[in-house]
Amino acid sequence: MIRTLLTLAGFILAWWGLVVLFDVPSYLVPSPWVLAEKFWFLTTQAALFSHVPVTLMEIVVGFVIGTFVGVASAVLFTRFPMVEVVLNPLIIFIQTAPKIAIAPLLLLWLGLGATPKIVLVAIVSFFPVLSNMLSALRSIDPNYGALAKILKMNALQRLWRIELPQAMPLLFAGMKVGVTLAVTAAVIGELMGARAGLGYLLSLGQETADVSLVLVAVLLLSLIGYLLYVALGAVEKRLLGWHESRSGALSNVEG
Amino acid sequence: MSFDGKVLFCEHRPNNETKLGKVEKLKQAGTHPQVLVRADAVTKIYRSRMGESVEALAPTTLDIHEGEFLSLIGPSGCGKSTFLRILAGLETLSGGKLEWRDGAPTKGSDVGFVFQEPVLLPWLSILDNVRFPLDVFRTPKNEGNERARAMLALVGLGAFEKALPKELSGGMRQRAAIARALVYRPRIVLMDEPFGALDLLTRDRMNDELLRIKNETGSTIVFVTHSIEEAAYLSDRVAVMSARPGRISALHDLDLGPERSEAIKDDPRFYQWLSTLRKELR
Repeated sequence: MIRTLLTLAGFILAWWGLVVLFDVPSYLVPSPWVLAEKFWFLTTQAALFSHVPVTLMEIVVGFVIGTFVGVASAVLFTRFPMVEVVLNPLIIFIQTAPKIAIAPLLLLWLGLGATPKIVLVAIVSFFPVLSNMLSALRSIDPNYGALAKILKMNALQRLWRIELPQAMPLLFAGMKVGVTLAVTAAVIGELMGARAGLGYLLSLGQETADVSLVLVAVLLLSLIGYLLYVALGAVEKRLLGWHESRSGALSNVEG
Repeated sequence: MSFDGKVLFCEHRPNNETKLGKVEKLKQAGTHPQVLVRADAVTKIYRSRMGESVEALAPTTLDIHEGEFLSLIGPSGCGKSTFLRILAGLETLSGGKLEWRDGAPTKGSDVGFVFQEPVLLPWLSILDNVRFPLDVFRTPKNEGNERARAMLALVGLGAFEKALPKELSGGMRQRAAIARALVYRPRIVLMDEPFGALDLLTRDRMNDELLRIKNETGSTIVFVTHSIEEAAYLSDRVAVMSARPGRISALHDLDLGPERSEAIKDDPRFYQWLSTLRKELR
């Protein structure tokens, strides 16, 4: 944590130094001080923080939907291989299509509100979750299936008590990829057309040649992505303590 | 179920010794061993992708007696694991039938199975792992904890109930797996080379532990191994199997008595059984 802060402080100092040293005009690259002033102005005068929750909501809701559908599809595919046979070509087609290209379509269909962004976020976070969850479910040692059969566990018990916990480590890896893609998707959606959100501020800044505004939006977006990633990591650490590869002190004890 | 007490396979005697094994002693005393399950001409045929059929198990007939320790021994490909998995209901039969004294297993608590690997759930503590089957059967938590703790004490893991599987050694994990298979008092416990992945010293110790656990629980155990010494040391009876097609080639009632200990390994009869079994496996 301290190291992160030191790196950040060094970066800001270097940035400031370069701007001052080469006398860069603030309409090209504002100094950290100018940016901070802009941030303060936006917060107090222009309701900057009414835009943050809009984007955050799109990311979180879309990501949760995408993750849920991804997990459910993976479970469905492994239970009923026919479903995968039928749906797989379609899924690969959507997966290989550049998601940005879908954005205008979604906007045309769903309007300028939050819905098309949520859908776009859900689509991009769906794929890493699906593919990781599929390989997680498929790589479960068949002995666990035998154990379930011996104990005559039903499908729901198997899923809940054996398969889902077993798949958690790979699922989280997929979610971490998904969450960074989710931030990008929300911004793309907003850039294409929106009335609010950080992506909207980005395009506003671009149109009015306001570099400071663009930078403020970019920094806030990075912060959102970073915090979501860290939050996922914290949940992962709490849930998956058992999975850390380090083994305990008892390893060499034969009782 | 009626049982005529006929021994289904010729019993090879290593010499003319008059010492009798468990089954024969029971027969002399006029009480026949209770057959828990009878495999009647059980076969397993696998069909390969090319359409050829491979006979993994030729028609095999074998009685498993209540309370006995029966080992299946043989080279790889002799069908010993297949036979065990058929008993467990993990494989279907291609022919023949299984006759269970108390009806075919329908409940999850009818059969206990110990794999070569512990197959513990890595996110559950050792106590939760041993209680796992009881949770599946919806046993009340208090009762489940009580029984799981008693079982952990029996396998010598009483002090490790809070540990995660990764924190234990291979031998300790396998003890936990045995506790998990015994905690619901199954009708029959099937073990598929449970100590095959352990080093020799640990394996010897686990053999003694298993004998002690079996004496305390009185479980019926069918034990697959490819170690002659392990089979002779642990078993009341040993079924020797051979490959292509998999079948039982000999069935022995060992006359080493029910009380086993390290001392038996110096007994000449133990050596004779080792050499008999070794010859038959050749």
